[in-house]
Amino acid sequence: MTTDQPGRPALQVRDLSVTTRSGTHLLSDLTFAIADGERVGLIGESGSGKSLTALAVMGLLSESLTATGGIRVSGHERNLIGEREGALSRLRGTTMAMVFQEPMTALNPTMRVGQQVAEVLTIHRRARGAQARERAVALLDQVGLPEPAETAHAFPHQLSGGQRQRVVIAMALANDPALLVCDEPTTALDVTVQDKVLGLIVDGVEARDAALLFITHDLAVVSRVCERVLVMYGGRIVESGPVGQVFAAPRHHYTAGLVAASALTGPRGGLSAIPGTVPSAGRFPTGCVFRTRCAAATSECEIQPRWDAAGAQGWACHHPIGAS
Amino acid sequence: MGAPIIEVDRVSRVYHRARRSLTRPAPVVQALREVSLTVEAGERLGIVGESGSGKSTLLRHIAGLEQPTSGTIRFDGKDISGLSGRRLGFLRDRLQLVFQDPMGSLDPRMTVAQIVAEPLHARRVRDAAARVEEVLAAVGLPAEAAGRYPHQFSGGQRQRISIARALTVSPDVLLADEPVSALDVSVRAQVLNLISTLVDARDLTLVFVSHDLSVIRHLCDRVVVMRAGQIVEDGPTEQVWRDPQHDYTRRLIAAIPAMPADTHRSEI
Repeated sequence: MTTDQPGRPALQVRDLSVTTRSGTHLLSDLTFAIADGERVGLIGESGSGKSLTALAVMGLLSESLTATGGIRVSGHERNLIGEREGALSRLRGTTMAMVFQEPMTALNPTMRVGQQVAEVLTIHRRARGAQARERAVALLDQVGLPEPAETAHAFPHQLSGGQRQRVVIAMALANDPALLVCDEPTTALDVTVQDKVLGLIVDGVEARDAALLFITHDLAVVSRVCERVLVMYGGRIVESGPVGQVFAAPRHHYTAGLVAASALTGPRGGLSAIPGTVPSAGRFPTGCVFRTRCAAATSECEIQPRWDAAGAQGWACHHPIGAS
Repeated sequence: MGAPIIEVDRVSRVYHRARRSLTRPAPVVQALREVSLTVEAGERLGIVGESGSGKSTLLRHIAGLEQPTSGTIRFDGKDISGLSGRRLGFLRDRLQLVFQDPMGSLDPRMTVAQIVAEPLHARRVRDAAARVEEVLAAVGLPAEAAGRYPHQFSGGQRQRISIARALTVSPDVLLADEPVSALDVSVRAQVLNLISTLVDARDLTLVFVSHDLSVIRHLCDRVVVMRAGQIVEDGPTEQVWRDPQHDYTRRLIAAIPAMPADTHRSEI
């Protein structure tokens, strides 16, 4: 499962596994890299381990979980796993930043939004006092908030959902991070607002040549934003490759199921859906994680499939689609 | 299709916000402005628009949960605007609602059986158990789900519970307010299939609110587009999708992200 990029990638994850105290595997052997300026989507159903991957990368895992493997970001020599919290908190907000799904809980309700953006600058000593406040207003302007100087004085509850998410993006981009992680940043938004916010994220990372890890369950959003996609199920990456290629000709049956379910075409009542539901953590089968819901599964699938690749596309399946 | 079952006639609704100043009057929000709409029995109508366009407000008025400031709403010929909750019993028998957030609309301390049977208790139906079993089966939940609590279910299953509760009284009209926007794609497909199948099998009239026209296009024959409390476009879904007349509708359609393989979507 290697997707090596030339040079030192902005983010390199190698054999990342996350387990609970009782030994349940939540993430298993994740290996991927994101180059500078590359935009990568991470897709899968709820309960597949997408958000946990983001938290692991940001060093925000709960203390009851154990991570093993390697996570490296450009500009920091050491493995982030096992790194001291002090070092991690210096990286968060500078080298790497994250945009969460729910902008209301990500913002401090008792602080004016301009102050919250300025805080990101002052905490990391990028600017102070009046200069930080000026930069904050400029950042709010960059994310397309109307009358940024006045909006800076607003409290989060006075803004709409889309405007709040713009503020969170302004905070995440304030110190020009090398890596931006977005966890379902537009799921709570209308299609029109979503379109604008997605444009903002793409423009923001492009202008900074930053790497983007974009988590969503919406395949159409991935095609709008990303160049490459990682498909996740049961805490494993089951397929990866260029967005167009993976969605047009998926090799893994799980990817094919997601693609088919995304198309709102066909007869009413006859939309294609993946049978069954995502098992809870620790209830995934051994061998291929998807075999309990897969129509093509055989006894062979009780053994963990190896990672196959053709060009830029890779998959882990004993019976890939399109193989004779 | 048939006789009109829901008739909304020049309905306006004004909300007063909290006063901000002692000297000036409280600001008002025009949530609905002279909205007129007729839904025929057996029709599948979609209401699309952004947040704040008034689409949910309109739905709540049709359900008798809110009273219009002016105008009338008739259900099967009977005026429901101005009727108190006590006198809307007939409406609750015939019209039921499914909300967006399946967690917020299910009481966490009630079992699924209690949740699904509650509309029957309100109607003083004695033997609820058999009916509960029947509707749970109809929405594809196992019989043992009856004894469990909402938090033990996934989002898609919770939405099935909401749909089961709506169906217990055998309504003629099902109103749905963004029932799939909080769901994963695969689960979304399952729930849309379920709604479509139930609407067909039970001959329901469907009014479906969403911000996503592609979902409405799949489910509904006719769509009304709302913006700032007004209906700006009304027509057969396919026609509106292919040839939107209003600028706002065009923007709504343009904002829907497309799959790469979707270039042929409009041909299907």
